[in-house]
Amino acid sequence: ESHTQYERVGADVTMKCGSMDWDAAVTWTANGTDIDESHLNGSYLILKNVDLTQSGQYSCYEGSSWHLKYQTSLRVGTPPKEPVLMCRSNNYPKGFYCSWHLPTPTYIPNSFNISVIHGTSEMVCEKDVFLKNRCHIRYLQLFSTVKYKVTLTVTNALGKNSTTLTFDEFAIVKPDPPESVVAKPVPNNPRRLEVSWQNPSSWPDPESFPLKFFLRYRPLILDQWQHVELSDGTSHTITDAYAGKEYIIQVAAKDNDIGTWSDWSVAVHATPWTEEPKHLTTEAQVTETTSASTSSFMPPPTTKIYDKGAVVGSGAVAVCWTAGLVLAAYGVLFI
Amino acid sequence: MAAADSPSSALRRRDLCSRGIRLAGKMRSDVVDLLDTYVERQGLDASLSVAAVEGVPTAAVERWDEQTGTQRLLENLAAYRAFRVLLAQMLEEQREQLGEADAPLGRALASVLLQVSAFAYHLEELLRLESRGPPSEERAAPPPAPHLGLFERKLRGLGVLRELAQWAVRSVRDLRQLAKPGTGSSSAPGPAESP
Repeated sequence: ESHTQYERVGADVTMKCGSMDWDAAVTWTANGTDIDESHLNGSYLILKNVDLTQSGQYSCYEGSSWHLKYQTSLRVGTPPKEPVLMCRSNNYPKGFYCSWHLPTPTYIPNSFNISVIHGTSEMVCEKDVFLKNRCHIRYLQLFSTVKYKVTLTVTNALGKNSTTLTFDEFAIVKPDPPESVVAKPVPNNPRRLEVSWQNPSSWPDPESFPLKFFLRYRPLILDQWQHVELSDGTSHTITDAYAGKEYIIQVAAKDNDIGTWSDWSVAVHATPWTEEPKHLTTEAQVTETTSASTSSFMPPPTTKIYDKGAVVGSGAVAVCWTAGLVLAAYGVLFI
Repeated sequence: MAAADSPSSALRRRDLCSRGIRLAGKMRSDVVDLLDTYVERQGLDASLSVAAVEGVPTAAVERWDEQTGTQRLLENLAAYRAFRVLLAQMLEEQREQLGEADAPLGRALASVLLQVSAFAYHLEELLRLESRGPPSEERAAPPPAPHLGLFERKLRGLGVLRELAQWAVRSVRDLRQLAKPGTGSSSAPGPAESP
């Protein structure tokens, strides 16, 4: 009959050889290797100040007959520290998920119990199919001012610990980053880059719960980002790119009315259209890049807010107006 | 249904919805600012939990996505009519309590009250378009404000404004649902309407 024994790191462990008397002659093994008699007190095995390396299979054999009298699996570990809990709604208004982890490992099996309370009702948190430290809650009510209280308790053989999060419905809304970000040069336009993206696929209803976007871009050679906030549409044309410079571009999303910004999307790179074919100007471009990085000017940081009517920045006017008209025409078609 | 589905009424409905969305958006923004001012002027702690306030329409709703267009409009209208009364009471109390001493708060309250009235009227227009007029408003005197101590009145005011802020967000969502093409007044929209 096999046993399992859990002990804390640093504890002193005494193992008895089953029902054998204290003065019986026995041999103990650890993972098949004989243990020196100095660790024995009679037939008891004494392990002082155990550490993780001492986890393993311990067996006790009767002296002369070598019959196996007792066997136990020693698991050395720690009681759980306060878990780290996070809840987020990336699929509003369907629901939200909570995700957790332990700040330090315990080295022994842990079980988690989560409770979600909204006002007086307890809500069900369904386990994630793939991730064992995540569960999903479906919103039963929307637009509630009553806060949600989520308590996570982690338990193992050596102890337990818990943490609680309290939040309201709107505060945890954070979409996933936009997907399929594509940036392309615009033929015959050395200062333009056309960027387009898609709503994150996890956002269930972008028509009723539209997202707004934040675009940032900079040439690889500079540290300063340019920012553009877009209240609608999933594309934008950059019109102030430095000719011939490779750009890095990212987009973030946010529900139009509530919650916080998503993380930045995967970065895409693009270089505006240039006049000569690339293979003839490689040398010239290298020289150009070198001289540009040693220049001392820094472009002023600008944040342009693109709204259907408002337009800021010369040169961008024509593009915005055209984009606005196209969007308006598109809107009319949607009646 | 026939009148509501004609091209001109569909256009008018879409136009009213867009304007309503902008109204609600501005209203929400002003209510959020008003909440900050109110908390500060009334000496309250913003993190205070306020229990459900009697007589204040709660924005919380179950099965929101299954509501019909008419249901949405009726619930919104009932709520904003109630808020009109509640805000008027708050304005009155605030004038009594602080007199002219707190003009900024009074002005902010009055401005929101005006927007609430305008929005209620807007909802009535939308209901008229759904070939079902808005329910008549009881013109009887509103129930008297409950006799509360000063602190309880402040808490009640906080509850009213918080709930109004939620309603403003809900109204934007409701109007967007309403503005979706193919949404009849009596049909509940499915999550994805296949042609």
